[in-house]
Amino acid sequence: MTMKQAEQFLPLKPQWFHILLALAGDEQHGYGIMQEVLERTTGKVRLWPATLYGSLKRMIEADLIAESSKRPRPELDDARRRYYRLTPLGRQVLDGECERLQGLVHAIQMKRKMVTG
Amino acid sequence: MKRSQRVYERLVQAFPHEFKLAHGEEMLETGEAAMAHMGKRRGWAGLARLLVDAAVHVPIEYFSEMRRDLQYAARSLVKSPGFALVGILSMGLAIGLTTHVYSSNWAMLTRPMEGVAHADRLVMAQMPVSYFYIERYREQGNVFEGVAAFQTAVPFNMRLPGEADNKQQRIFGQLVSPDYFRVMGVDAQRGRVLSEAMDHAGDAPTAVISDKFWRTRLASRSDAVGLVLRVNGQAVTIVGIAPRGFEGALAAESASELFVPVTAPPAVAPELANDVLHRRNAREFWALASLAPGVALSQAESALDGVTRRLDADDPLAPPQSDKARRVTLLLAGTRAPIPLELKRALEGFFGVLMGVVIVIACMNLGAMLMARGANRRKEFAIRMSIGASRFRLARQLMSEGLLLSLLGGLLGFGLAYMLHVLNAQMYQAVDAPGLPELGIDWRAAVFAFVAALVCGVALSVAPALRVTRSELTPALKEGPAMQLPGHRRFGLRNLAMAAQLAGSLTLLLITGFVLIGFARAYRVQTNFDPRTMAMASIDPVRDGESPEKALDLFARLPQRLKVSGKFSRIALTTLPPYAAVDDDDKEPLTVDDPQAAQRVQQAAVKWSVGAGYFAALDEHLMSGREFNDTDERSLMEPVADNATRLMPVVLNETAAMKLFGSSSAIGKHLRDRSQGYEVIGVVHDLKSGMGIKQAIAYVPLSREDFVRSRAAGITILARAKPGMDGATAVRDVLSSLDPKLVPFHVESLSDQLAISRREIRSAMRTYGGIGGFGLILSAIGLAGITAYSVAQRKREIGIRMAVGANKGQVLRLVLREGIALITVGTAMGFAGAVLVSKALSAATSVIADALAMGTNDPRLLIGAPVLLAALALVACYIPARAVLRIDPLKALRTE
Repeated sequence: MTMKQAEQFLPLKPQWFHILLALAGDEQHGYGIMQEVLERTTGKVRLWPATLYGSLKRMIEADLIAESSKRPRPELDDARRRYYRLTPLGRQVLDGECERLQGLVHAIQMKRKMVTG
Repeated sequence: MKRSQRVYERLVQAFPHEFKLAHGEEMLETGEAAMAHMGKRRGWAGLARLLVDAAVHVPIEYFSEMRRDLQYAARSLVKSPGFALVGILSMGLAIGLTTHVYSSNWAMLTRPMEGVAHADRLVMAQMPVSYFYIERYREQGNVFEGVAAFQTAVPFNMRLPGEADNKQQRIFGQLVSPDYFRVMGVDAQRGRVLSEAMDHAGDAPTAVISDKFWRTRLASRSDAVGLVLRVNGQAVTIVGIAPRGFEGALAAESASELFVPVTAPPAVAPELANDVLHRRNAREFWALASLAPGVALSQAESALDGVTRRLDADDPLAPPQSDKARRVTLLLAGTRAPIPLELKRALEGFFGVLMGVVIVIACMNLGAMLMARGANRRKEFAIRMSIGASRFRLARQLMSEGLLLSLLGGLLGFGLAYMLHVLNAQMYQAVDAPGLPELGIDWRAAVFAFVAALVCGVALSVAPALRVTRSELTPALKEGPAMQLPGHRRFGLRNLAMAAQLAGSLTLLLITGFVLIGFARAYRVQTNFDPRTMAMASIDPVRDGESPEKALDLFARLPQRLKVSGKFSRIALTTLPPYAAVDDDDKEPLTVDDPQAAQRVQQAAVKWSVGAGYFAALDEHLMSGREFNDTDERSLMEPVADNATRLMPVVLNETAAMKLFGSSSAIGKHLRDRSQGYEVIGVVHDLKSGMGIKQAIAYVPLSREDFVRSRAAGITILARAKPGMDGATAVRDVLSSLDPKLVPFHVESLSDQLAISRREIRSAMRTYGGIGGFGLILSAIGLAGITAYSVAQRKREIGIRMAVGANKGQVLRLVLREGIALITVGTAMGFAGAVLVSKALSAATSVIADALAMGTNDPRLLIGAPVLLAALALVACYIPARAVLRIDPLKALRTE
C-alpha cells in the first residue's frame, strides 16, 4: 500500500469522508455511524440508510474499511449488527483528505486576510 | 406512518440478495429508527427523502451486481478460452451472416428509395407502355395524383468539363417526363428538379444529375448547377442535383446518374426520335404513378386495366383481343426493385424466418454449451451455495456468461458483416458494369440481429442456469459433475432440441446444396467453341453523332471490313449479346396465323434481332430449315409503306416451336404479333442463357429500324478470332479505321461476358454456400457441446462399468450411441424439412424454383449431404467423448 494508492480516492466523496471520520475513533455499526454523523454536524448531515449501506459496501470493496470481528459486551450487542473499522488504507485516505481540506481552509484564510488587509 | 414503514420494508426487500444478506436487517432497523426520529422532527418531507433514497438505490445496487457478474463472467471465460471462442464465433457468425444477408438482399427489395417522399404510394406498371397511353392514364385523376413516364438505362455519351476531347464516357441515366420528380416527391438538394412549369419542348436541353454524379464525376464542385455538359455532342445545362442516395426508379436494375426530360431534342437522346412520344404503339416507357390518398392498389389496377382495354380496342393496327386476363399489373415501386405485393409478403416471411432460424440455431447451441459447462461446474456452484450464494445469484451468473458471449458475438458479427460488405463492394467494383447499386450495411438489421441475439442468448441460458442450480447440495459437493441430474431423459427437451437443430442444419445444407448444384448446372453455358476466341463489341453510331444513312452504310460495310482484315473466321451482328437473359417483360405474344385451326395458339416470346450467319458464328446447327442470309437482311432494308402485309422471316428456338406448333414441323408456317406477320424459316436448339433460363425466343433478321435507331445496348458485333489473334484489339482497330467517331463499348470476349452475366448468381451462390457451411459448423459445435455434457453427466456410471470390466472401446460406444441416435432422428427430420422448405421456396421465386428443380434429384447431394453431416457430427461427438477414456474408475467410485 502506497501513498499513491490513497491519493486515487481524493477528493473523497462527502459521505465517504463522514463515514471514515466516524470510524476514526472507534469501531462502529451502521446505525452508530449515522447517529455520530448526525450529532457531529448538529443535524445538518444525515446519511440515509440506502446511501449509508451502499457506501459501506463499496468502501469494503475498495478496502477502506473492513468488518470487525470484535463485538461489544453481550448486554450491549445486537446480533444483527455488523461492526466496521478503518483499514490502514482507509486511515491513509482519511489523513490525505484531512490534509487536503486543511490546505483548502488555509488558502481561504490567506485570501481573506489579503482582502480585509 | 405505518404505511410508509410498509413501503420502506418492501423497498428493502427489493434490493439484490447479496445486499440484503449483508445489510438488510440493519437497513430495516436504521430505517425504523430514522422514521421514528423523523416523525418528530422533519415530518413528511423527511419520510419522503428516506423512501426516495431507498428507491433510487435499488437499481444502482442491481447495476453494481451486474457489473460484478460480468467481470466474473469475463474472468471465467478467460479461463476456458476454447469454450469462449466457440461460443463467440457461433454467435458472431449468426449475427454477421444474417445482417449481411439482410443488408444485401432484403434491403434491396424493401427499403424505400432514398429521397422519395411518396415511396409508400408509388406504383408502376409491370409492362412498358407507350407515352401516348401514359398521357391517357394521367386523366384518371381520381385514382392517381400523377402519372410519370420514364425510360431507364439510357446511355449518354458524355464529355465532362475539363476532359480531353477524345475522352468520351458512357453514362447511364433516364429519360423522364417533366412531372417525374413531382410524382415521386423528390426535391433537389441544389438547384431545381424538372417540372411541367419549367421544362417545355423546344427549350434549351436541361438535365438533373444524381448526387453520385456530382460527387464522383464533378468532384462536388460548387458551381455544378448551371454547368454545361456535352451530351451526345449537344450542350445540356445542369439545372439541379437530386438528393443524396436517389438513383431513380428501378435503381436495382440500373442506377441512374442523369435525368433528361423527354422534352429534349432527339439529338440529345436518340430514344426520342421517330415521334416516339406520340406513336401509340411505341411501348418504350415505364408508367410510374403515385396513388391518390385512400386508393388501393387493386382499385388502381382495375382502373388502368379499363383504360388500357379501351385504348387497345381503339387501335386500328392491333389484332383484336378477347382475353379476360388483366392487361395491367401494378407493382409497388417505392423500393429499389419493384415487386408484386404478394411476392413481397412471401419474401418478407421467408427472410424473417431465415434470419430467425439462423439466430435461434446459434442460440440453441449456446444454450447447450452453457448447460454442458454448467454440469461440469456443479461442484463450484454447490460450494458457493453452501456458503450463502442464492440460487438466483448463481443462475444470474450463468446468464451473465450467456449475455457476455452474445455481446462479444454481436461485436464480432458487426465486424463480419462489415467485412462481407466490403468484400462484396470490391467484387462489384471489379466488374465494370453500369449502374450497380450502392448498398451499405443496414444498421437497423444489424441492431435487430444484435438485440435478438442478446435476448435469445439470455433467454436460452435461463434453462441451463436453473437446471444446474437445482441440485441437492450434499451429493453435488461430494460428486461434482458426476452426479446424475434430475430429469435426465433420453428423449428429453435437450435431446429433442438437439435433434431439431441437426435437422435445421441439414435442411439448410440440403436447400443450399440444391440451389448451388442447380445453379451450377443451369448456368453452365455450353458453347460449341472456345468462348475466349469470340470477341464482342457494341456500337451505336446514331448516338455517336452519325446520320441514319451513314449508320446504315456503316453496318453494310462493317462485316466485309472485318472479313478482309483476315483476323476473323466468323462474323455476325446481333441486338443482344448471345446467351443473354431477357426479362419476361420484354416478351411479346405471338399467334399462329392459321385460318383453318380450331383454336388460336398464342405464346409469348422474346424477339431477338440477329444478323446473317449468327448461328454459324456460334457453331449452332439448325434443327431444321435455314438461318438468315444477306438476302433476308437486304430485303428488309427497303422501307415499305405497309409493314403489316410483308412477311418477315423468323427462326424459332426449340421451346418456342414446341409451344406454338407442338411436334409438327414449324417450317413454312405463319405467325403474327401485334404489328407484323412472320414466316418460320428455321428452328434452332435452345441456347440456354447465362442465367440458366430457357425462354421461348423468336429470332428475326436485323432490319433498317435496328440500324437507324439508337438503342441502349447498341448493335453487338460478334467476331471469332483466328487462332493466335487478339480479337478485341482487332475489332477496335477495324472500327476506328471505319469511322473514328465511333465509341465502341462492352468490348470483351464472350467468356468475360458470360462471367459478368453470372455475377449475381455467384453472389447468390456465395450467400447460400455461406449459410450451408454455417449450418454445418453450428451443428458440429452443438453436438460437441451435448456430448461433452453427456460425458460429464455419466462419469460415475462409466466408472462403475469400467470397474466391473467394460473396456474403453465399449464405454466409448456407449457414449457415441446417444449421439448416433440424435444424428439419425435429426437426419430424418432434416430431409422432411428440406422437402417442405424447397416447396415453399419454389413457390416464392421462379429463379430458385428452376435451380431447385435441377438440384433436387442430384444423388451426390441426397447421399452426400447427410453423409457429410453425419461424419462431421460423429467427429464432433468423438472428440469430447474421448474424455471417457481419461476417467479413472477408482476416482469415479471413490464417492460411493
